[in-house]
Amino acid sequence: MAAPTLDKKWIGYLISLFSIAAMSVGLKLLGAHINATTVALALLLDVLFIATRWGSVPALVASVLAMLCFNFFFLPPFGTFTISAPDNWIALAAFLITAITAGQLSAHAKRRAEEAESGRREIERLYAELRGAFERASHAEALKQSEKLKSALLDAVTHDLRTPLTSIKASITTLLDEARGRRNGEQPVTLDPESKVEMMEVIDEESDRLNRFISGLIEMARIEAGDLQLRRHWGAVDEIISTALLRAEPVTRGHRMELGIEKELPVVRVDERAVSEVVYTLVENAAKYSPKGSTIRITAQRAGDGLIKMAVEDRGEGIPAELRERVFDKFFRATRDGDIKTLEPAGTGMGLAIAKGIVEAHNGRIWIENGSAGGTRVAFTLPIGDEDAAEPSEQSFSDRIRRP
Amino acid sequence: MNDKPRILVVDDEAQLTRVLRTGLKSHGYDVRTAADGISAFDTFKDWNPNLVITDLAMPNMNGLELCRQLRTISQVPIIVLSAKGEEKTKIEALDLGADDFVTKPFGIDELLARVRASLRRAATQVATEVTPAILQAGDFRINLEARNVTVREREVHLTPKEFDLLTYFMKHSGKVLTHRTLLAALWGGNYVEQNEYLRVFVGNLRKKLETDPHGPRYILTEPWIGYRFNPHGT
Repeated sequence: MAAPTLDKKWIGYLISLFSIAAMSVGLKLLGAHINATTVALALLLDVLFIATRWGSVPALVASVLAMLCFNFFFLPPFGTFTISAPDNWIALAAFLITAITAGQLSAHAKRRAEEAESGRREIERLYAELRGAFERASHAEALKQSEKLKSALLDAVTHDLRTPLTSIKASITTLLDEARGRRNGEQPVTLDPESKVEMMEVIDEESDRLNRFISGLIEMARIEAGDLQLRRHWGAVDEIISTALLRAEPVTRGHRMELGIEKELPVVRVDERAVSEVVYTLVENAAKYSPKGSTIRITAQRAGDGLIKMAVEDRGEGIPAELRERVFDKFFRATRDGDIKTLEPAGTGMGLAIAKGIVEAHNGRIWIENGSAGGTRVAFTLPIGDEDAAEPSEQSFSDRIRRP
Repeated sequence: MNDKPRILVVDDEAQLTRVLRTGLKSHGYDVRTAADGISAFDTFKDWNPNLVITDLAMPNMNGLELCRQLRTISQVPIIVLSAKGEEKTKIEALDLGADDFVTKPFGIDELLARVRASLRRAATQVATEVTPAILQAGDFRINLEARNVTVREREVHLTPKEFDLLTYFMKHSGKVLTHRTLLAALWGGNYVEQNEYLRVFVGNLRKKLETDPHGPRYILTEPWIGYRFNPHGT
């Protein structure tokens, strides 16, 4: 590092020598057209230039050199270092003092500017370093969080798979005991026909539950991978709702269903199967989490700006405001993970997460609001949807053939 | 009057309580069910069952709290139903006084075996309370006053600590005893983390009692949890 600095210093001196000499020669060539003051100012300018560019010592050298040249070439008698007129002595002294002072001042200013610049650069470097460190730390934190989340999800999944499996295993081994005529101590194992049917019902229902859970997982994975293939067609809202209600009939049998569908709703361009799934999920939840015999109200209306708003409302206990966002999280169950303790958790914890995925894939929004009678109202909006009709649809070829 | 053993089944999974009710009834037990700890505790006080089978994760008072509450009023045998991944809670439940555990998913036979063992243990416990000087079960006979032990009709010499440990095992035979419970009972509360003490004494006892100390039949290891003593041999 020392060698280049030294070189640079010598270059500074050389440039000082050369530029003052060149300036003096140039000015001399102009000859009679310029007076001593112009010469002094020109040389002073040169000194300032050297000071700002090369620093204080070359500027000092340049000042002395400029003074000598000024004396030799421009103060009479020319070509000598002697000065005849006393006022020229004063002029020369004034020139020297001005040149040195201005040169030193501007070199000093330059140094300060350089120091400020290097300070700024140092701060920038530290900032970048700090930011890098923060980024690395937050990356590590994010990794840790995601690992934590993964293991929490794994726990939830294994719990949800194992619970129905436990019932199935206990049922089937009970049936086997009886079929094999096993004896419990002295007593033969006795299962009346009713109990046998009950065991088989449990196996049947719990296998369905496992299957629902697995389908949910697959659907969930598709939504998360952004792989939800919407098959949009123009369809009627009341048809979508009635399909969902028909499917939900076994779970809503004990409830009073009430419909409030606005007259002359426009048709909507949606994936009817998927939207019907959303309505089904909401109705099923409403039935599950509200007392038997209570009313479940389903509404659909225009919500301005090319939107349709649908809502399912129950007369259950409602969902506390602080859980209203979280219920849309995957595997979250208010009855298990929240503070709602009075109802048994029977769901998969995926219904609302999937519903949200479907609604958002349609560019809609889903949320929870207060029901008019204190229960839960889950509402969602869907664009009526012709603005993207021009885009190549995700329909499969066979689909288009079947539905011209 | 019904003299069937009464079992209270507590789980928030309706399907599982349904299966267990039917399954246990078919094996000659009288069964009632509860969906949470609070209603279980109420049913317990009204009905006074001979055994409680409880899940651990439940709303409205979980299985741990239920164990704690039950132990304040009763020595009823408690079997906890746990899942893999709930090891810590399971050990906590055993420390709180649960007698045994069954890991989900389980076959009804496994549960029934645990039920029978727990009921038997409860019955012998009542018997030993009547004649406290002699403990006799399976291949073992312990005279608490003379401080001697016979195994398979043969007297064995035990150090005082080994004698205490075996006596504790005998008094709680069939029950899963956590490391912590055994250490606290034999060495006091300051030693509950000193598992190696226990390992040494259990090793010595096995050498003196078992026919094959490397394939123990009496003092069985419950991996990561503790030991279970079976005086009849497996």
